[in-house]
Amino acid sequence: MPVIEVNLEDFNRLVGKELSIEYLEERLPMLGCGWEGRTEEGFEIEVFPNRPDMLSIEGLARAFSSFIGLRTGLRTYEVRESEYRVRVEERVSSIRPYIVSAVVKGVSFSDDLIRSIIQMQEKLHITHCRKRRKASIGLHDLEPIKFPLTYTSRPRDFRFIPLDERREMSLEEILRETEKGREYGWILEGKEEYPILMDSKGMVLSMPPIINSIHTRIDEETRDVFIDVTGTDEKTIREVLNIIVTTFAERGAEVYRVRNIYPDRVVETPNLEPWRMRLEPGYVNRLLGLSLSNREIVEYLERMGFSAREEGGVLEVWVPCYRTDIMHPMDLVEEVAIAYGYDRFEPEIPEISTIGEEDPLEVFSRRLRDFLVGYGLMETVTFILSNKEKLFHRMGLEEEPVAETANPKTEEYCVLRNWLIPSLMEVLQNNRHHPYPQNLYEVGDVILLDPREETGARTCRRLAIVLCHSKASFSEVKAMAESILRNLGVEDYTTEEGDHGSFIEGRCFLMRREGETLCFGGEIRPDVLENWGLEMPVAALEMDVDLLFHLLEDQ
Amino acid sequence: MRGRGMSRGVDVEELHENEVRILQALKDLRRGSSEEISRLTGLTRDAVERAGAWATTKGLLSVEERISESLVLTEEGREYAERGLPERRLLRLIGREGTPISDLRGTLPRLEIALSWAVRKGWVKIERGVLFLTREGEAALGREDLDERILRRLRETPSGSVPREWSERIGVLLRRRLLRRVRRREKILSLTERGERVIPLLEERKVVGVITQLTPELLRSGRWRGARFQRYDVSLPVPKIHPGKRHFLQQVIDYIRRIWVEMGFKEMKGPILELSFWNFDALYQPQDHPARDLADTFYMKTPREGRLPDPEIVEAVKATHENGWTTGSTGWGYRWDPAVARRCCLRTHTTSLSARTLAALRDAELPAKFFSVGRVFRNETIDWKHLAEFYQTDGIVVGEGVTFRHLLGYLRNYLEKLGVERARFRPSYFPYTEMSCEAEMWDPERGEWIELFGAGMFRPEVVKPLLGRDVPVLAWGPGFERIVMRHYNIRYMRDLYLNDLEQLRGARLWVR
Repeated sequence: MPVIEVNLEDFNRLVGKELSIEYLEERLPMLGCGWEGRTEEGFEIEVFPNRPDMLSIEGLARAFSSFIGLRTGLRTYEVRESEYRVRVEERVSSIRPYIVSAVVKGVSFSDDLIRSIIQMQEKLHITHCRKRRKASIGLHDLEPIKFPLTYTSRPRDFRFIPLDERREMSLEEILRETEKGREYGWILEGKEEYPILMDSKGMVLSMPPIINSIHTRIDEETRDVFIDVTGTDEKTIREVLNIIVTTFAERGAEVYRVRNIYPDRVVETPNLEPWRMRLEPGYVNRLLGLSLSNREIVEYLERMGFSAREEGGVLEVWVPCYRTDIMHPMDLVEEVAIAYGYDRFEPEIPEISTIGEEDPLEVFSRRLRDFLVGYGLMETVTFILSNKEKLFHRMGLEEEPVAETANPKTEEYCVLRNWLIPSLMEVLQNNRHHPYPQNLYEVGDVILLDPREETGARTCRRLAIVLCHSKASFSEVKAMAESILRNLGVEDYTTEEGDHGSFIEGRCFLMRREGETLCFGGEIRPDVLENWGLEMPVAALEMDVDLLFHLLEDQ
Repeated sequence: MRGRGMSRGVDVEELHENEVRILQALKDLRRGSSEEISRLTGLTRDAVERAGAWATTKGLLSVEERISESLVLTEEGREYAERGLPERRLLRLIGREGTPISDLRGTLPRLEIALSWAVRKGWVKIERGVLFLTREGEAALGREDLDERILRRLRETPSGSVPREWSERIGVLLRRRLLRRVRRREKILSLTERGERVIPLLEERKVVGVITQLTPELLRSGRWRGARFQRYDVSLPVPKIHPGKRHFLQQVIDYIRRIWVEMGFKEMKGPILELSFWNFDALYQPQDHPARDLADTFYMKTPREGRLPDPEIVEAVKATHENGWTTGSTGWGYRWDPAVARRCCLRTHTTSLSARTLAALRDAELPAKFFSVGRVFRNETIDWKHLAEFYQTDGIVVGEGVTFRHLLGYLRNYLEKLGVERARFRPSYFPYTEMSCEAEMWDPERGEWIELFGAGMFRPEVVKPLLGRDVPVLAWGPGFERIVMRHYNIRYMRDLYLNDLEQLRGARLWVR
């Protein structure tokens, strides 16, 4: 999740009060962000994905000054009329169909503002804009631009000079050779033409969502800014535009409206009007377990930057244009809870009488685990994630189909184990430097492919034991298998010779009942031991706990 | 009779059988290491040292400690001792007319090593890429060189001694990392004067009359009557033994289950390999949500896709994502794709079970409380702090009239039972809860709040499509690793799953 850096002095100026870092460390988390720590100039704070409006210092200060009661209620922003136009051509509609835009004037680009804007743009791109795929932001010096603009597309050999380059490059070259081109080129993959924003004289402003041109570069001299947001989702680009425009407005800039003229309609942006949601006070109190008066609820909403008034027992709430996360009245209830203070709620356990119950298989598994300790075995807890090398090759087996992940970050963990003994062999391998005997067990899950299941696989409970010491033998492990079954009252099974590649031929047993294998085991083959780097004999067994459980349940 | 065995206060009859064997072994040697004596007597080194200590208290032996150095083969050295040095194997491959080096690539492993040593030993010379045997090389063909002799000697008698005049070659082999010096602490036992005087008496000693191990035979025959029992020095060390034991993490898991059951929660179970539908969509996570990225979630290659549940639920979930359905929400406002929901993944949280449980719950069963404990998976690059697989425990409380304060009540109780003295709750964010909160624990050592887990009340967008109507649902999904780590003084997350036997054998019991 995104973390932003905040300069304390700048933050305090925007909030309008001298606040100590200790106070902020205590209070900011209670507004709903994660304190990451202090820095030389201030602090770092994690902003949660539902609050992109707090990704700038201006937005964070706006929210916090309300929260601590300095400037509560809805902030209104004036949008001035203008003659600025952007024409959207049909040909871009299958590439990156939407654009919204705005102009802000009278910006004084201090160092603080530039840093805050760049930081916000970068963090918005990663989060709300989904790495620029869903939306991307362009900021331009207004001065050289001759309106109306055209948002269109151009073939790959179209050329202009991109930002930070000295020469004209074709669109194809830009994707291939510039840093941003390589980073975001995937968004335009498979397109015949690429999006271009240009002015009436044919000067290119940008190639969204990749890069701006050199002509509209912003520097300390810039006073007026043209903002474009392009993307694939109209709702998102409007939200992003509002967040950016109000950030400039918080620094005193004037906002001007732009007409975005599509072939079939006209969209005027930005629209900074608040919108309305109805909230029942009873709903608030019911969910929170409080009994707040309507006046109190209104006050708390104002502390979160909303305004509200009562109308016939229901609250009419005005939601500011930069709040993208308010979808349901329940979101407003949370706002009230945050303003009230999570630390002020009195925890309480309700009188709901229900009967507690563990899953019977879990109860059975615990009984087994406790019982196995009686044999002097040590319990282990190992990973379900494994790999084919461990499950098959090292165990002397041919590969079998097994549940496999598509995108593992490490080859070490790329399949789900389909049996348990390899996990215990690995534990033995990792413990070679410790004294023997090493007799271990685990009662754990394996995953088997099963097309009858809705997920195509089944979670199965197994039990495995490994006995590793200088005299570990077939008879010892068989005796243990028989003893476990006898103690569970399972007696009507047959013992056959097994044919399993991990065990010495003629020293592998198979305990079966009505065609199903309850248990298999024996002495592990020396070449398998060698594969695991073990110089000590191992006798092992694996039992089907699900099967045992159902057997016992039926009895 | 008894007097015959006496020698200035030492009663020969009272000597332990092992003491007698050691004294006899030292009759000729006079002094020897516990290792040597162990070889001579057939007793373990432990037994020699123990009995040696008894004899020392009787003034028969004196003991000193010595640090001895011996040579052992490294793994590579052992391989060469068995299969021959690389230069030796090279030598055998060179023909009379010389052999081009290129012919040897692929046939001889470690060719570079072999070449360098064969040249250094003067066995071969290289002319234009062709290898020729020198006269020394020809002579060496039928003869073991000193390096090989040393390796063989150490292979046949591990930790045996080697003649001093070999030290130069030993230096070379050490540098080749074929040998390794091992330092060992050992006890040297020497016969004292008194010990020497006792030795002749040993022969006459009658073994009967002193019992060391009481045997069934002695009991049956009754010969123990009138005999005396060998006295032991009870302060001497005995070997460590280790009990079979439950893994500490499983002990904690059992305890956590008990916490929930005692509060009246019923356990939910479900698959580890899960449909994206239950892991994400049913929890109102939009399909382009970053948490669904390949970077965080394990998606499956096999099985790639599964079957979606009851169409009625699927339709409701779809409509809720797209436009809010009848929940009163705006929805996310995008086109929901069933193919994305069909993708199989490894559950990233056990909250998937809470979703399944809500979908199966009937009105008549309310109010209801459920919990789960299970493995969850994250596609992480593994290091000491990050795991791809760990545990989580989830809980939900479903019923009219449950409130945010109740949520905090359950969580506070859970944390108290786990021994967290100072906790706080602060606002947080999860796509599926509103009133989202993070439970934090105060760490007095680091002087800061530490995040423990997330909780909240399920959004109507989650509850209504699954349950059919909007009822308040409290929900939480704690991991408990941090708390276990604190209790067991474990520094890194990964150490919870090390299965290191020393750690497991030494871990205290969970006594709550």
